[in-house]
Amino acid sequence: MSVVLIGLSIGMLLFLLAAGLTLVFGLLGVVNFAHGSLYMLGAYVAFQLVTWTGNFWLALVIAPIIVGLVGGILEYFTLRPLYGRDAAYQLLLTFGYILLIEEFIRMAWGVNFKSLNPPPGLAGTTEIFGSTVTDYRIFIIGFGTLLSIALFYVIERTRIGIVVRAASVNSAMVSCLGIDVGRVRTGVFVAGTMLAAISGVIAGPLLPLKLGMSFSIIIDCFMVVVIGGLGNIRGAILGAMLIGMTRAVGQQFAADWIFLLTYALLIVTLIFRPEGLFNVKVRQA
Amino acid sequence: MKFAVSLARALVGAAILLSQQTVHAQAPKDAFVIGGVVPLSGAYALLGTSMQKGADLAVEQRGKVLGKPVKALWEDSETKPQTSVQKANKLLAGGVSVLFGDGASGQTLAIMPVADQRKVPLIVTTSAADQITGSARNKYTFRTSNLAFMETRMAAEYVKKVGLKSVYVVAVDQPVGRDTWATMKASLTAMGVKVAGEDFAAIGSQDYSVIIDKVAKSGADGLFIVTTGADTITLLKQAGQVKLGNKVKIFGTGFLDDDAAMAVGPDVVGVKTVARYHFSYDTPTNKAFVEAYRKKYDEWPNAYAGHAFDGINWFMDVVEKTGSWDSEKWVAAFEGSTHTNSLFGPRQMRACDHQALGVGLWAEAVKGTAPQPALMLKVTDTFPPAGLFPDCPK
Repeated sequence: MSVVLIGLSIGMLLFLLAAGLTLVFGLLGVVNFAHGSLYMLGAYVAFQLVTWTGNFWLALVIAPIIVGLVGGILEYFTLRPLYGRDAAYQLLLTFGYILLIEEFIRMAWGVNFKSLNPPPGLAGTTEIFGSTVTDYRIFIIGFGTLLSIALFYVIERTRIGIVVRAASVNSAMVSCLGIDVGRVRTGVFVAGTMLAAISGVIAGPLLPLKLGMSFSIIIDCFMVVVIGGLGNIRGAILGAMLIGMTRAVGQQFAADWIFLLTYALLIVTLIFRPEGLFNVKVRQA
Repeated sequence: MKFAVSLARALVGAAILLSQQTVHAQAPKDAFVIGGVVPLSGAYALLGTSMQKGADLAVEQRGKVLGKPVKALWEDSETKPQTSVQKANKLLAGGVSVLFGDGASGQTLAIMPVADQRKVPLIVTTSAADQITGSARNKYTFRTSNLAFMETRMAAEYVKKVGLKSVYVVAVDQPVGRDTWATMKASLTAMGVKVAGEDFAAIGSQDYSVIIDKVAKSGADGLFIVTTGADTITLLKQAGQVKLGNKVKIFGTGFLDDDAAMAVGPDVVGVKTVARYHFSYDTPTNKAFVEAYRKKYDEWPNAYAGHAFDGINWFMDVVEKTGSWDSEKWVAAFEGSTHTNSLFGPRQMRACDHQALGVGLWAEAVKGTAPQPALMLKVTDTFPPAGLFPDCPK
């Protein structure tokens, strides 16, 4: 049972990160290679805020806003002129973001490890089926579940969601209806970067903060997105849970086979469902 | 035919250049140049930047070697073995007097044949793989820091001292993790200590919770860890959050330092480890070094900085004594030399494998008192060199 719980917490953390990536790809058609760097920036900004204020909850609110602003500026000034061009330009640009953010973090915080701790209310543990599980992990599961429901609701059930989805399918038509498509795109990119930052803050108390922390997790993140289907939130949830459970069960029985098991999952998906488990049906007007 | 002639010309040209390089290494130069190949970016950036700081301080304090100014040139090996080789070749092409580096053992093993081929001494002050002074040793490579074997011996002594009955291991799934555990397992079996379980986790693992749960339920009274850097912090942080330290004694071989202890947080207190160096180690030379280092960098020196300072100083002492620019004489003089001014007390360079012999330090993570770091290592035991090192290779 504890394995399931731990698997859920790993999966939820992956989902939080992958959701932003899949959102930006699904709605803007941009593969944002810098998503992991924005996750790292979120964690470092939270570290700084906690150092100044001692309040984790404040950091969880403020850090995503700051990183979201950074995302908005990057999108407005650099990504926006490239929407009509070949995807290679966007890939090169987001690679540039990685170098920029890495260098900024190196200059601002140095190369030493940094650390975040769980907030005082979640620093304890709970005994579940003979295993000790931290309260913080239970919080991650609850927080991830709430966020995934909220995200799903906004995209599928609200007017904002309808506009955003319409702009991703036929931006010219949406523009003719008097909606500022540029602003919609900026909004989506900001939401994606905010999700990356949120996952950075949430991961902070579990992992050391260091330069390069983005590289190790972004690969997992892309696997989630590919397994679930590029641009699909439901797919991201399922992909993240599958990888989370594979990791947890793998650790239980054969820790040294975990990566092989995870990649096997990816390969099997690509063989039988190359479009991902939840492929997006694109309807053109 | 045309291609064959061009190839032959290129080979002859390269041979002339190489031979000139060797002659240049023996002729007096305008400066004694140390070529540092260290990871200044990538996963081991912290190692490289610290090594650079320690070596730069040694160079600055020395000023001149053989009557000529001494200076250090730095190349970033990016924590990649292939880059290490490229950068080492670049420095050698520039005519450096000695090579210094690298960070990870894989990188050092990659540049060792380059130093050997170009007949330029290579000073290793961080990498701990046994092969460096074992199966892969060569005439021009000298290690002035710890090797994995001696650290495993110290960990086994700790098990004996505290009387652990059953040990669980969590090691990184790399040759160093498996080799260290194989040596340790043999020692534990000989002592009659039970192995409660073993897990090899991939480098860069993000989650150890299930493994930690297995350790807690295994009935082990000790957890032996063979990891480094971020893996150590992730594992200890997550173990600390479920208070695993209350159930088992956590220890390892050189897997923890002050920087990592700070990143783990208060739960690190009580964890035992080999300390490759510590600023609190009480020798007059170390006190002077720590003072100078803090004055220059406004921080406490870590193991990578301490060993870099010590190793570079040792080699410069040797070169000065030879009074010659002949690198063959430097190598001959370094073999069997004694470093009396070492930060660790007197140390000898073993001629048979070019491994420095010295004391081994065992430490515990404790709370520091200002101006020391809030969490740091404290040396609790010092092991004499006898019995710590492998026999000379035959």
